[in-house]
Amino acid sequence: MMMDAAINRFVFLLKKQGVRISPAESLDAMQALTWVTLHDRDTVRIVLRSTLIKDLRDLPLFEELFEQFFSLPKASPSPEATAEPQPPHATEPYPPEAAAESNLASGHADDDHAHEDPLDIQDYFDDRDMVTHFNAHQDSHDLRLAGFGQNLLLSRHQELLDQVLQKAVQQLKVQRVKNAGRAGELNFSEALTALDADLIADAVTELLDELNDLDIDELLVQRLARRLEGSMAHLPELLKRYLERELALQPPPEISVPPRRRAHDDCFPEQERREMAEIVQRLCRRMRGARSYRRHISPRGRISVPLTLRRNMKYEGIPFQPVMTHHRDDKPRLAVICDISLSVRNTARFMLHLVYNLQNLFGQVRSFAFVSDLVEISSSFDQQSIDDAIATVFNGGLLDTGADSNYGRALSLFHNRYLAAVTRQTTVIILGDGRGNRNPPHVWALEAIRRRARQLLWLSPEPRGSWPLGSCDMPLYEPVCHQTEVVRNLQQLGQVTEALLRRPVTWH
Amino acid sequence: MFASIEQTIAQLRDQQYLCDRKLAAVAFLALQMRKPVLIEGPAGAGKTELAKAVAAALNRPLIRLQCYGGLDEAHALYEWEYGKQLLYTQILRDKISRLFEGVSDLHEAVAQLHLHEDVFFSEHFMVRRPILQAISSPDPVVLLIDELDRAEEQFEAFLLEVLSDFQVTVPELGTVKAMTIPYVIITSNNTRDLSDALKRRCLHLFIGYPDEQRELDILRMKVPALRETLAAQVVAVIRRLRALDLRKAPSISETLDWAQALVLLNAGALTPALLEETLHLLIKYERDTQQVNDQLSWIGEPLQAQNPPAIPSATEISLHPPARPAGLDVNHLEQRRQEHTARYFTSYRGRTDGRTGG
Repeated sequence: MMMDAAINRFVFLLKKQGVRISPAESLDAMQALTWVTLHDRDTVRIVLRSTLIKDLRDLPLFEELFEQFFSLPKASPSPEATAEPQPPHATEPYPPEAAAESNLASGHADDDHAHEDPLDIQDYFDDRDMVTHFNAHQDSHDLRLAGFGQNLLLSRHQELLDQVLQKAVQQLKVQRVKNAGRAGELNFSEALTALDADLIADAVTELLDELNDLDIDELLVQRLARRLEGSMAHLPELLKRYLERELALQPPPEISVPPRRRAHDDCFPEQERREMAEIVQRLCRRMRGARSYRRHISPRGRISVPLTLRRNMKYEGIPFQPVMTHHRDDKPRLAVICDISLSVRNTARFMLHLVYNLQNLFGQVRSFAFVSDLVEISSSFDQQSIDDAIATVFNGGLLDTGADSNYGRALSLFHNRYLAAVTRQTTVIILGDGRGNRNPPHVWALEAIRRRARQLLWLSPEPRGSWPLGSCDMPLYEPVCHQTEVVRNLQQLGQVTEALLRRPVTWH
Repeated sequence: MFASIEQTIAQLRDQQYLCDRKLAAVAFLALQMRKPVLIEGPAGAGKTELAKAVAAALNRPLIRLQCYGGLDEAHALYEWEYGKQLLYTQILRDKISRLFEGVSDLHEAVAQLHLHEDVFFSEHFMVRRPILQAISSPDPVVLLIDELDRAEEQFEAFLLEVLSDFQVTVPELGTVKAMTIPYVIITSNNTRDLSDALKRRCLHLFIGYPDEQRELDILRMKVPALRETLAAQVVAVIRRLRALDLRKAPSISETLDWAQALVLLNAGALTPALLEETLHLLIKYERDTQQVNDQLSWIGEPLQAQNPPAIPSATEISLHPPARPAGLDVNHLEQRRQEHTARYFTSYRGRTDGRTGG
């Protein structure tokens, strides 16, 4: 049935935008549509929305896509559509009868004729039109790039793409050298912001010249040229990705950074240890886990009839010994994510001490350290003494501590790899200053973590006043967290713990 | 029986429940498709009321299961009545010992007892909790599972069998299949995300605050004693309150309470003084009270404009409070935070991270 095909296509497009729709739900949608009259566009919208969209956050996207998908084709192509190369059939004016059919199809007719019409409804929802529209959307670089790459792929010119990008990379590398980039990792953001528009334009022209020399399909080059003009602004992004992929393919360079600190620096005086343990213990009392589902035998609570019966069997069922049960709170689970980069060098030691203590006191703690990469340090903290453990982390054995911290990357890595560690019982504590060196902050990852976690707590060593300064992303992260506190030494940690203890519970 | 969306609207209106097309369409579809409805929305927006209205409109009994932390099967589904079982065994002791009169050894006795085992695990000794009641009722019912987000995730998982197949499994008795399909309404205040598995099995509906006209209609219907001008003023003020960034914005139930209170106070028109006196009916948090007091003159604006009795056309009234006097950089931070909230909490799907791949 034609309608089914249209709905399927619509669902496919929704999925492509990241909405999670199961086959059962699309079946529901089709079934639901049989119960209502299809003449009213609004009804169809309501039906599709209630069957397909189960998350409020997806609603704006649905509305936008619905408008796009179930509307009359535009008489004149939109400005952004003209900027992109059009396949011949899309630029042709629609024949009059087709326009009339589309009127029918979109529900202005009052008979059922539209449903049996063999003319495919999809013809009016021009795929390419859709794609270009969504490309214009500022957040959809993905699709644009995908379309770009796909086009080349379809033309079986993968090697061309590589050549193009290699050229671009060369250009970029030259630029980076001029920029006196720091040793170690490539700092994309700096290099890229330095690439001004003129330079990119030059690069593109140069690229196209090179391409012409490469003796390949003329048409393709032209198409590429037009594409590049259209997506000039996104070239840096594209290059960055390409570089990242390239880097990922190369074997990682041996990290031979000499130990930054001597071991004796990492020793903690007994006094400090004791204080820290005390504070963390108080904090521990504050962080309850969720209420457990099972009931436990205890002197208080409700009488449990089955258990009472069983225990009093020996008295012929006369309940001399009542048995009470009550719900007990689960032990809290903790996930600690700690920044150990140079920017927080002074406090990282303190933070790791905190992590170590948390791990000792709480049963289920998973701790992670990050700079640009993110690694789990739970096991090394479990097995080693505090001094050894912290020395291990700082010596760069686990991850490269000399890199620039990249919160966005670390958070998205955590999201992709370890999100399963976060459940409704988990309190997530992030220790860091939120200075991501102008890398994309990826607040969505933190958002996703918050939604899964029982509580999300951010402890920053930096005073609140300096958050809006420089490249600090804390103002972006802060509204996502349940709580953000400034902690840089034991005293402040003590104060924060006190404040947490005094405040009533308002997690949700 | 709802025959069409229009009839659903009409039938619910008969039950004093005014709803828009969106809501009616879902209520109608749920009945036709025999699917549960999941309603999300702020507290007091009429989620529970909808269930009551649907039950009344369909002339079905309403069975309500209020969820809370620690809710388990024993309270939702069934429980064996141990006390009764115990009592019966005591009373029937003679009868039971008579069973074993001709029995020579233990094996035979056990076998003999085995034959009568089902007496004690029969429906006589079972307490039916809401879900089992709904499932085993000979007449179709409306089952309201209220505030599911308060219960644990385990409980959600337990609901899945009921919601998709309309059956429950009692180990001692076997699987109980629904004789009639109940009309299931699940509500959630959205304090946490419900699981995808549950959402997938339901039709989804979000109830927000009603628009001005509908709220006015609801007021007229529920508080008929309220004067027309007063009703218009109430709605105008409530809408302004909702435009503020309050921790708990007043919802329909608060509007109705307030209107009721104004009727009891015998108020002819809403004056700024009266507004200030009765504000505690609408504002439930200390922090909110402060914010409202700061903006009181702006909130009271529609009142002054309508001293001559005229129906207000409040559509022209801007729905944004005047900006606060420019202060320190705190303001700047606040603004950034709001911008950010708007960006990330409304269209979260705008991905820039490259996870979608193809």
